[in-house]
Amino acid sequence: MLEIKNLHVEVEEDGTKILKGVNLKINDGEIHAIMGPNGSGKSTLAKVVAGHEAYKVTGGDILFEGESILELDPDERAHLGLFLAFQYPVEVPGVTNKTLLREAYNTIAKERGREELDPLEFEDYINDRLDIVEMKTEFLDRSINAGFSGGEKKRNEIFQMAVLDPRISFLDETDSGLDIDALKVVAKGINHLAGEDNAVCLVTHYQRILDYIVPDKVHVMLDGKIVKSGDKDLAVKLEDKGYDWLTDLASVSANGEQQ
Amino acid sequence: MSIKKTKESFLPDLLSRETSLNGKSTIIEKLRLEAQEDVKQTSFPGRKDEDWRFISLRDLYSESYIPASQVDYTLPDISEYFIPESEHARLVFINGAFSSDHSSTTDLPDEVTIGNIADIVEDDGHFLEDHLNKYGDFEDDIFSSFNTAMLQDGAFIHVPEGVKVDTPVQFLYIQTDAAEPYFTTSRCLVLADEKAEITLVEDHVGLAENKYFSVPVVEINLERDAYVKHTKIQRDSKQALHIARTAAHLKQHANYESYTITLGAKLSRNEPRITQREEEVEFTVDGLVLLDGDQVSDTHSVMDHRFSHCESHQLHKCVINGKSHSVFNGKIFVRKDAQKIDSFQENRNLLLSRKGLVNTKPQLEIFADDVVCTHGATIGQLDEDEVFYLKSRGLNEHQARELLTYAFALETIENITVDSVQELLVDEVHNYTSRTLEKQPVS
Repeated sequence: MLEIKNLHVEVEEDGTKILKGVNLKINDGEIHAIMGPNGSGKSTLAKVVAGHEAYKVTGGDILFEGESILELDPDERAHLGLFLAFQYPVEVPGVTNKTLLREAYNTIAKERGREELDPLEFEDYINDRLDIVEMKTEFLDRSINAGFSGGEKKRNEIFQMAVLDPRISFLDETDSGLDIDALKVVAKGINHLAGEDNAVCLVTHYQRILDYIVPDKVHVMLDGKIVKSGDKDLAVKLEDKGYDWLTDLASVSANGEQQ
Repeated sequence: MSIKKTKESFLPDLLSRETSLNGKSTIIEKLRLEAQEDVKQTSFPGRKDEDWRFISLRDLYSESYIPASQVDYTLPDISEYFIPESEHARLVFINGAFSSDHSSTTDLPDEVTIGNIADIVEDDGHFLEDHLNKYGDFEDDIFSSFNTAMLQDGAFIHVPEGVKVDTPVQFLYIQTDAAEPYFTTSRCLVLADEKAEITLVEDHVGLAENKYFSVPVVEINLERDAYVKHTKIQRDSKQALHIARTAAHLKQHANYESYTITLGAKLSRNEPRITQREEEVEFTVDGLVLLDGDQVSDTHSVMDHRFSHCESHQLHKCVINGKSHSVFNGKIFVRKDAQKIDSFQENRNLLLSRKGLVNTKPQLEIFADDVVCTHGATIGQLDEDEVFYLKSRGLNEHQARELLTYAFALETIENITVDSVQELLVDEVHNYTSRTLEKQPVS
């Protein structure tokens, strides 16, 4: 579904190189986890896939269903079915969750050739989705993330994912800042949403969420490259041994070859 | 027929052109004549005056105007401007003149006196004399003097003790198209006695895109425990010049809530002035300004805390597009011995274009020591992180920017309790955002 080929990325403003040749292939029905310490570039990768303008792609490509998406705006990528759950969801006072989601849902539906929903139909649809993340109806009429706790913001991201029904979701540190109960709810929601015709990529610092979501593949990112890939056991090993044993790998794999 | 006027003789000359008022009603005439003298004695403001240094009035005084009473017009259907909630609680003025045909007040309780000032003078001149021009303490202010010097028709409402009026009252000021620029004044006097409650919608509408000079003055008195909600909508012609004064006096436990929405006029100036007359009062002076093209809007407010225990709130928001210019000067006075004052003031400006201009100046003069005054001013553009967030959800650039601009503006209108007015303003905000964003494709 998504293929990232030898991706090089720098910060638009000052030219700092962040990604130095990332290769990654995610197929339908798969759950991937990208792990790595702070500053390794994993969050940048998620933002670049979503089309954040603060970053400049200087080499390589990102293919969705075989087509390059580098020239597409963030909204056009969302229309194709890409979704990013933000590490720090933005507060938008004055715009309710419901307003945003109906506008977003119908825009995406139109682009993907699905039927748009009128306010009543949308109400039914959205109420159904609330249960997935155990959120109350009041949530819909609150301003987007304004005054939400950290946990509520993260849950709201998964709720938006549930409503927009993306093909592939990058979840950027969705587990951070959650207490164990909230983490279970979020994990349950993600498991519920993961299916045969979509894919999920968890970007995380800790192995903790992987106790609840079993990934098909785990990748380790260090210094802008994926230095090791494996199955769920790799995550356990990282939890035990940390990232230090991998730092040598980072310096030898010049253009990020692995597998 | 028009002759160029110099700045100093500008207003006296306009007054001398309006001859239709002579010889009418002694009480009003006395006020008028005194005010005419004041207009002659007061110098016309210029950029050297601290309170006028950010804007130019050249556009105003370099033009020549005929009195509104001399304008020939054909009136189109104006019912679209009638607020449904006020179907029978409405006074209409057309080019400053009271229109009994369009007005209706049958929904209001019998105890309430409402009508045209010129008619009230005939019925109960002495009562009016005790109140008219007693609350607008605009010292040395040439524009309020000018308004008083033109005093004839105007809106009057008196809500006596204990009467709570549920029906909102609309004062609708219609300005018609005209072959020549004209000048017009409107006066409004609102008296809310003890425990009286009233909701007012002051609505200035320009029917065309012509030039006129409008000088409205509103005086409001709140006796003890009175509650007045006042929404002012200024949707004058985009060529109009609108220079307005609003004064409110509050006695103990009174609550004055005002929302001033500025949409029209090429140049507009609002001067709300709230004066605390006794201890323990509460007031709100919020504002929303949406500017485009070469519009200029200036708000100079005064919140005068003279006694202890007062809660005051001022949130003034401006959206600036094109080459428009927004000015805010918010004076907060806390007099000696006026303790336990809790005053909030914030001016937030959203700049949508590179050529927009904002001047903002909070001004606090505090002579008491036990007070909380928070104030702030911000000038900013739309937050790019917010834009990206919305785009990542599938909204295009235009939708994202429109939604964020709308959200910015919404905060100031969501407290307006007259449903149709709130809907009207929501539509105005939508129109504004879609219009400004279309004109300016974002890079």
